[in-house]
Amino acid sequence: MVRENSRRLSGSRQFRQRLVLATLTSTTVTIDDIRSGDAAPGLRPHEVSLLRLIDKISDHHTIDLNETGTKLRYRPGVIIGGKGLEHDCGVHRGIGYFLEPLILLGLFARAPIAIRLKGITNDTKDPSVDTFRMTTLHMLKHFGVPLEGLELKIDSRGSPPLGGGEVFLRVPIINSTLTAANWTNEGMVKRIRGVSFTTRVSPQIENRIIYAARGIFNRFIPDVHIFTDHRSGSAGGRSPGYGVSLVVETTTGCLLSVDVTVSYPNVDEMNEESEKPELMSPEDLGVQAASMLLEEVAQGGVVDSTHQGLLFILCALCPPDVSKVRVGQLTPYGIETLRNIRDFLDIKFVIKPDPNSNTVTLICVGAGVKNLARKSS
Amino acid sequence: LARTLSRRSTSLMQLVYGQFLTKPDSMASEENDDSEASGSEEEFFVPKGQKKVQQNELPAFDDIDAEDYSKFLKSELRDWSSEDLVNSIRDRFVTGNWSK
Repeated sequence: MVRENSRRLSGSRQFRQRLVLATLTSTTVTIDDIRSGDAAPGLRPHEVSLLRLIDKISDHHTIDLNETGTKLRYRPGVIIGGKGLEHDCGVHRGIGYFLEPLILLGLFARAPIAIRLKGITNDTKDPSVDTFRMTTLHMLKHFGVPLEGLELKIDSRGSPPLGGGEVFLRVPIINSTLTAANWTNEGMVKRIRGVSFTTRVSPQIENRIIYAARGIFNRFIPDVHIFTDHRSGSAGGRSPGYGVSLVVETTTGCLLSVDVTVSYPNVDEMNEESEKPELMSPEDLGVQAASMLLEEVAQGGVVDSTHQGLLFILCALCPPDVSKVRVGQLTPYGIETLRNIRDFLDIKFVIKPDPNSNTVTLICVGAGVKNLARKSS
Repeated sequence: LARTLSRRSTSLMQLVYGQFLTKPDSMASEENDDSEASGSEEEFFVPKGQKKVQQNELPAFDDIDAEDYSKFLKSELRDWSSEDLVNSIRDRFVTGNWSK
């Protein structure tokens, strides 16, 4: 049952979600006017890299890009998946940028994906690989994905601007559909965990970050444990940097996470001043990360603000059953996701604000997207 | 302030799916009640948070070439060592006071 749908879109925003939803719904998309008014028009290197990644894991698809890169036509094929894949994510965006679409596509592949991704493991724009390992992968179990085949191994780390990190990701396939989730009770915070990392700087910095973060958490809860992960040599990538990823675990098993990274900016971003800018001190970084985590706790909801988009997509992909989730304040990304879901899957969520806890409850009936690529036995 | 109030009374469904969608008035009035009752500690968060959403959404939603971030970068962070803030989320932790 190949549906010959097509959509015309414009602009480069929500590029990842559009490609993912187009693939999962077998919808041909034509995207016009990609940064056509920009001084540097067309797709950015990381977006081209994402297209190459999709090209690697799928078959029977066509990707047409015009000369300036301002117009893209993508006709999705079948997601093949497979082992022993490798992809260089470049240094424009973190690996987190690619992981988000990759796990969604991986679930609906013919064979489980095992892929080695190279690039920047921790940066400021994308969720870090630690956040993925500690939080994102665990979200999937609420939708009936077995945790066994799900793995993210950090072989080496790479900070911006030069990267040099390497991670290994395995995503299982689902047999037919996800299962609908009723996930509204966020529970109470019972422990705080985290990982701090340093690449090519003194390992002592980790302790300074942790000390500062603990100072804030100690007023709330004693069960705080932040691991350290110092990388030197080739496992530390090519640039100096440090940061911390924190995750809150609640009594009902919800995970809220934040991550912060500090590193030197890109060469082209700092062309004006010739000397390297001062980095944020580890103490400030720890305080900032801790404050951000407490903001997430104060927001409420079963996922943090970063994962709202993924959560909504997972709900919408569920079989025609009612899914109910609760989140804190809707983020701009979350709202855009809801709109994309409406455009591609024709699903509208019922959005109910809850005045008592200042959270938002979203209810939807899933589209019942099936894994059609899987070999029928 | 008047603008914030009027803004808040439009329902979230409208905010997300556009104005053409007509919602029952009950939802809107419910929201209004919420903003007027400012007794509990939870209410402490309402005004600022609402404003933040507005600030963040206006530039991003008009721009068809907006950057693709899933991380929501908060513009400002509050000082979490202050007593009021600490107390406001104290009960979200298992160490909170559950007798009341």
